[in-house]
Amino acid sequence: MTSFFAETFWLIPCYPLVGMLLTLPWSPGIIRRTGPRPAGYVNLLTTFLALLHGTFAFPAVWQQPPHYLEISWLQVAGLHLTIPLEVSALTIGATTLVTGMNFLAQIYAVGYLEMDWGWARFFALLALFEAGMCSLILCNSLFFSYMLLEILTLGTYLLVGFWLNQSLVVTGARDAFLTKRVGDLFLLMGVLALYPLAGTWDFNELAQWAETAELQPVTATLLGLALIAGPMGKCAQFPLHLWLDEAMEGPIPSTILRNSVVVATGAWVLIRLEPVLALSPVVLITMIAIGSVTAIGGALISMAQIDIKRSLSYTVSTYMGLIFIAVGTGHTGAALLLILSHALAQGLLIMSTGSIVLNSITQDLTQLGGLWSRRPISGICYLVGMAGLIGLPPLGGFWALLKLADGLWTSHPWLLSVLLLVNGLTAFSMMREFGLIFAGQPKQMTERSPENFWLVTLPMMVLMGFALHLPLILQSLSLLPSWATLNKDVALLLLWSSLAGCGIGAIVYVGQMIPKPIQLPWRQLQNFFAYDLYTPTLYRSSIVFSVDWASRITDWFDRFIIDGVVNLVGLASLFSGEALKYGNTGQSQFYILTIALGSVAIAIAMSWSFISSLFLTFTGH
Amino acid sequence: MQLQLFLLLAAALFCIGIYGLINSRNAVRVLMSIELMLNAVNLNLMAFSNYLDPQTVKGQVFTTFVIAIAAAEAAVGLAIVLAIYRNRDTVDMEQFNLLKW
Repeated sequence: MTSFFAETFWLIPCYPLVGMLLTLPWSPGIIRRTGPRPAGYVNLLTTFLALLHGTFAFPAVWQQPPHYLEISWLQVAGLHLTIPLEVSALTIGATTLVTGMNFLAQIYAVGYLEMDWGWARFFALLALFEAGMCSLILCNSLFFSYMLLEILTLGTYLLVGFWLNQSLVVTGARDAFLTKRVGDLFLLMGVLALYPLAGTWDFNELAQWAETAELQPVTATLLGLALIAGPMGKCAQFPLHLWLDEAMEGPIPSTILRNSVVVATGAWVLIRLEPVLALSPVVLITMIAIGSVTAIGGALISMAQIDIKRSLSYTVSTYMGLIFIAVGTGHTGAALLLILSHALAQGLLIMSTGSIVLNSITQDLTQLGGLWSRRPISGICYLVGMAGLIGLPPLGGFWALLKLADGLWTSHPWLLSVLLLVNGLTAFSMMREFGLIFAGQPKQMTERSPENFWLVTLPMMVLMGFALHLPLILQSLSLLPSWATLNKDVALLLLWSSLAGCGIGAIVYVGQMIPKPIQLPWRQLQNFFAYDLYTPTLYRSSIVFSVDWASRITDWFDRFIIDGVVNLVGLASLFSGEALKYGNTGQSQFYILTIALGSVAIAIAMSWSFISSLFLTFTGH
Repeated sequence: MQLQLFLLLAAALFCIGIYGLINSRNAVRVLMSIELMLNAVNLNLMAFSNYLDPQTVKGQVFTTFVIAIAAAEAAVGLAIVLAIYRNRDTVDMEQFNLLKW
C-alpha cells in the first residue's frame, strides 16, 4: 500500500493545482451570492490530501535508494527535454514539510482573513505556491527547477500584491518581482551555459560530471557565480535582500509560508548544485562571503527594527545566509537540517507575532508591551520558536547549527566565530522582540488584547508541538549525532553564545531597568541599521538611477534621432514641395521661358558632340 | 551672300522674338513678338528654298501658307486680347496669373 503511494508520488503537486483551479470560481466576480469561504475549505482539503499522500508514502522510501521517474516534455532537433522526478526520503520529507506548513498556514489564514473578501485569490495563490514548491522539490532537473522558480517569482508578485489598493504593497510587490527576477535571469545564463559543458541538466548527472570535469578556472567561476545569483535573489541575500523587507506588506498567512519555506527554494537549488559550485574555489569563497555578510548584517538590522514583521524578515535573511555558508563549505547535510529547523521555528514565530498583530492592530514594537499575562499561548509559542531557531538545546535549531559548527570547527575556524556571533545577535534580537511585545507594562495599543480564537491559535499550537518534537523526530530518523561523537566544545560554545544573546536581550528588554526606547550613543549607526543600511537609497542611486537614465536617454534617442531622421525625409519632401510650387508663377510668359530654356538645353545636350568638335576646330586646328 | 548668313539673321530675329515674347508686359507686344518669330521662320524657309531647291521652290509655297496662317493667328490673338481686356481692364501680362500656386 505504501509503495503505491510512493509510486504515484508525482501526484503531490497536482492536488494543490486542482485546489487552485477549484478555488477560482469563488472570486467575487463569479460567484456573487455565497461569499468566498468555500475557496479556503477546498484548498484545505486538497492540501490535506497532499499531506496524507506524503505521510503514507514516507515509510516506503525510508532508507531505500531513491527511484526516478521521467516524463518526456519536449523533443526537438538535438534537444530532448525530459522532466526527471526523484522520489526519495529527502524529497518526500521536504514535500511533507511544505504541505504541512501550508496546511497550517491555510488554517491560520481561515482565521486571519475572517474579514477579507479576497479568499479565492489568496488561497489560489497559496495553492500555486504549494504546487510550485512540491514540483521544485520533486523535480530533478536544473532547467525545470529554473522554470518553477520563475513561476514562484510570479506567485510572489501576486501574493505580495494581494491588497493592491495600498501603495506600499504595490511598490513592495514590484521590488519583490524585479529583484528576484534579476537573480533568476543570471541563473538562466548559468543554466544555459552549463548545458554545452555538461550536456545535461539532471542534478545527479551534473554531480557525476562535476567529479571529473576539467573546466577553465574562469569558466567555472563565471558559471558558478551565475548559478548562485538566482538563489541569492530567492534567499534574500545581500545585496538582493530589500524585497523580503518590502514583501512584509503582504498578508501574514502568506508570510508564514514565504519566510519558512519559499525563501528556502533558492537554498534547495543551491544545495543540489553544490557539486557544480564546488568546481571553483572562488565561487565557494563568494558564497561564504555573501552568506557571512548577510548573516551578520541581517542580524544587526533585525535588532534595529521597530516593525514586528520586518524584524523577523531580516532573521530569515540571516538564516539563509547561514545556509549559504553551509553550502559554501560543503556541508549540505547541515544546510538541509537548518532549512527544516528554520522552517518550523520561523513559521512559529510569524504565526505568533501575526496572532499579536491581528488584535493589537499595530505592528510597531514600541507601541506593544505587557502581553505576557494575557497572551500566554502566543508568548509561549514565540519563546519555543525562538528557542528552536537559535542554538538552544534540545530543540531543532541547536542540532542544525551544531552540525554546521562541527563541520566548520576543523575546516574554517574563523567562520565558526561568524556563526557564533550571528547566533548570539539573533538570540538578542529575538529576545528584544519578545521583551518589547510581552514584557513591561501594557501600552495604549495593548491595553485590551484578548487571545485569538481557535482558528488562529490551533495551527500555532500544532506547529509548536512539531517544533518541540523535532529533536525526537530527528532522533527516530537517526539524524542526531550520538553522545560519543558529539563535539562538546562546539556545543558549549554554541550554547554560550545563545545564552549570552538571550541573557543580554532579557536584561535590556525584559528587565525594566533601562528606559526605553533605547538610544545608542551613536545615533548614525542606529539609524544605519534601522534603515536597512540605506539599501533603498543605494538601489535608487546605483542600479535604478543608471537604468532609469539609460532608458531616458535611449527613449530620447529614439524620439529625436531615429524618429527625427525618418520625419526629416517627410519634412524635406513637404518643404521641397512647398518651395517648388513657386515655380508655378501663373504667368504664361514664364512658362514659355521654361519651354525655351528646356528646348535650348535639350538641343545642346543632343548636339553636344557636334558642338564640342566645332569648339575644337575653332580653337586648335 | 551665303546661306549661313541668312540662317544667322533668321536665328537672331527668332531670338529677338523670343526675348520680346517673354519679356514684354504688354499683350499686344507679345503678339508682335510672335509675328517676329514667324518672320524669322519665313526667312529660313525662303533661304533654304533659294539655295537648296531653286527648281521646285517648295519653301516659298510654305512661306505663303505661313503668312496666311500668321494673319489668321494675329486676328484670333487680338480678339483674345480684346476679350481679356474687356473683362480685366488691362493688357498687362503680369496680371494674368490665375494659375498662381
